[in-house]
Amino acid sequence: MQKPVIVFDQFSFRYDSQQENTLNNINLTIYEGQKVLILGQSGSGKSTLIHCINGLIPFSYPGTITGSCRVAGMETTHASIFSLSQEVGTVLQDSDAQFVALSVEEDVAFALENQAISRDLMIPKVKQATDKVGMTDFLKQVPFNLSGGQKQKVSMAGVLHENVNILLFDEPLASLDPLSGYQTIDLIDQIHRDNKTILIVEHRLEEVMVKSIDRVIVMHNGGITFDGSLEALLRKNILSQVGLREPLYLQALRLARIDYYHRNNIHNVNEINLEDIKDLASHFKIKDKQTNDKERDTLLEVNHVSFAYDKQNVINDVCFDIKRGERIAFIGKNGAGKSTMAKLICGFVRPNQGEIRLNKMNILAMSIREIGEKIGFVMQNPNQMLVKHLIRDEISFALIQHRFTIDEIEARVTEALKICDLYSMRNWPVSAVSYGQRKRITVAAILALKPDILILDEPSSGQDYTHYSEIMDFLDALNKEHGVTFIFITHDMHLAIEYTDRAIVFSDSRIIADDYIHQIMSNRDIIDKANLKQTSLYDLAHKIGVSPQSVIQYFIENRRSI
Amino acid sequence: MKNQFIINLVPQDTFLHRLTGKTKVLLFIAFIFYTLISFDLRLLLPLFMISFFVLRSLKPNWKIVIGLFSFIFFMNFINLLIYWLVDPNIGNYYTNSNVTILFTFNSHYYISLQTIWYLTIRHLKLMTSFMVSLVFILSITPSELAAGLYGLKVPYKICTVVSLAFRYIPDISNDFENIKISLQARGLEMDKRRLNIIKRLKDNLFILLPLIVSSFDRIGTIANALDLRAYGLLKKRTYYCEHEPSKFDYIFRNVSYIVILFSITWIVSRFIWVPSTRMWYPFES
Repeated sequence: MQKPVIVFDQFSFRYDSQQENTLNNINLTIYEGQKVLILGQSGSGKSTLIHCINGLIPFSYPGTITGSCRVAGMETTHASIFSLSQEVGTVLQDSDAQFVALSVEEDVAFALENQAISRDLMIPKVKQATDKVGMTDFLKQVPFNLSGGQKQKVSMAGVLHENVNILLFDEPLASLDPLSGYQTIDLIDQIHRDNKTILIVEHRLEEVMVKSIDRVIVMHNGGITFDGSLEALLRKNILSQVGLREPLYLQALRLARIDYYHRNNIHNVNEINLEDIKDLASHFKIKDKQTNDKERDTLLEVNHVSFAYDKQNVINDVCFDIKRGERIAFIGKNGAGKSTMAKLICGFVRPNQGEIRLNKMNILAMSIREIGEKIGFVMQNPNQMLVKHLIRDEISFALIQHRFTIDEIEARVTEALKICDLYSMRNWPVSAVSYGQRKRITVAAILALKPDILILDEPSSGQDYTHYSEIMDFLDALNKEHGVTFIFITHDMHLAIEYTDRAIVFSDSRIIADDYIHQIMSNRDIIDKANLKQTSLYDLAHKIGVSPQSVIQYFIENRRSI
Repeated sequence: MKNQFIINLVPQDTFLHRLTGKTKVLLFIAFIFYTLISFDLRLLLPLFMISFFVLRSLKPNWKIVIGLFSFIFFMNFINLLIYWLVDPNIGNYYTNSNVTILFTFNSHYYISLQTIWYLTIRHLKLMTSFMVSLVFILSITPSELAAGLYGLKVPYKICTVVSLAFRYIPDISNDFENIKISLQARGLEMDKRRLNIIKRLKDNLFILLPLIVSSFDRIGTIANALDLRAYGLLKKRTYYCEHEPSKFDYIFRNVSYIVILFSITWIVSRFIWVPSTRMWYPFES
């Protein structure tokens, strides 16, 4: 008989600031040593559930609780957040903000310092915790020199002290490049083997399921709609119903009209049983590619550009062209130079060598403001862009700065609002809308200037699959119908495969590849160099003995029909 | 993020760096107090010399140090010039001596030996306190500062504010830059050459709103991160960076106490016991 460690019994919760319950009648028992994945859209209540376990509810977020939630035998409404912290360790989503100390070792020691443990006892504990996550060589490092993945490992070490038996991970993959994400999942798996109970909240199923999961819980509208094994989940048609992404290899099988529901081991692409199907490869036939690369004019030319920051080359002799109407992905690990390249294109920083031409004009001669009329930049965090109270003022802001006539402003604002499906909300305050809608406002604000190129930094971050699809389909329509050229700076391999034609891959300040996306995604060498990770399509291709290029290309050609 | 300050975040390995945070804070307090009370060449000059040698032992980045030193030196000099312009007699009040005129500009402005003496001492005093502060800043990390303050019975919540500030100010300044360039790209003119100062200040206000919103997001996460790791659990806490005091720590802590005692004795015996505004002046006539 396993020992229950987390027990929700007819548990409901309503935030004081809200009208309705965020969690509704939850009955859930999690046993010692289980590894549980909690899936759900934004607003499904999955983060709230985690906060109920670690005690932030009701400690930091006041609200009304009915029913009971017991964690390690303690009723959370009566236990203090401090006594819960002795049992439950939480790794938050934002790996940068939760790094509170000024060096790795001090951050790992932070919980121990608060318990007033003497220094000679702390040192071995810190060593032990950093050993587990492989950060012992970085003890003296300051947070400013660490990558997102490294900061996350430090956060894990910081909650790994011996008596903590339950570990909660709130969207651990959110800001990591694909390889670091894989390493994180691998590390969580290793920690799980020390008989810790693990709860992972994520909406990226595909990345999490590369390591075994004991149990999956799907949350929807504040309740639990599924609770069972991963295999059982994939056999049912639940994921698409609650707005979550199915693993790519299953989507590909479906496109290829291969029925997988009754097969064994569908939760593992390498073990899925497809032996009985004859001539698998014929299912993945690519249409004869009619080259519709009709002579498009070149919009942007980057010629031998180098840029150094503090005498260190961040961009090293980079050349590429972008044609009108293309959809480009800038990919590569953090610090490889892709963001800096975008800043160079926008004129935020200027190259030390080389030239950048936009419509044959050298942008060196233009001010940031002049370039801004032609090239729009949408930041990752919309909150860093929004300066006005009302949505329509936000969109007219740039037009007023550029001194358009009142009629012109009116016309353009209306058009941008309509394109972005914000017209009905035009008089709403910016603060009243959701994160995804704010992102849409920033796109509208940039679109109003009618730029030739739109650069988006991590457009998929902080959004679940439904909202991601919405915003990306919308951008795609802008591309198809209005001919806007897009550059996406992204870690998200799904985005690159689904919404771009070509990828430019950065590694150590240089471009190591510039090719069709299906070529890049099937080139092992490039993937390894750029900290990327093959998607499950690559594994599927190996499994059925078809070239990865064909499977990926097949998938891209046919995914529209899903 | 490149660290543009001269502050060390990583402890270095020189004699002074190896002392504990508490000792360093104590030494700083003692010597700043000492400079504050002394208006006397006999007290200031030795400390100035000593702090120079200590500074050298810290193996600082001389380029930055010399730049900073020259800047402070020059600013002080301007300050002294203004003192003299306002009152050319200023030195005569503090020295009990007949005025020795060295140079006369007109009936009002002249330079006397006494004024030169007074202004030189004043300059030396400011430069000494600058040197003491510089040595302190270069020898301590923000974490040691927090631990040192805690060692001197400052409540630990205040100490945490100090170290959190050092942790997040670079992030906020980064945010500021990002917001600024995104606004510029949307057409906000921020070129110094093209705008007057009022308009520029007004435009900077635009940056403030998103900066506040994104900083508040971060503060929420920081608060949760602190709570989840039991910050505020006990009345006391320990500091990982505050290592066991060595023999030298005890010696230097005692030195600090002696310096403070000496300073108090000095001020009591020279100014309170026998009230006087005079400074030490060797060329009395």
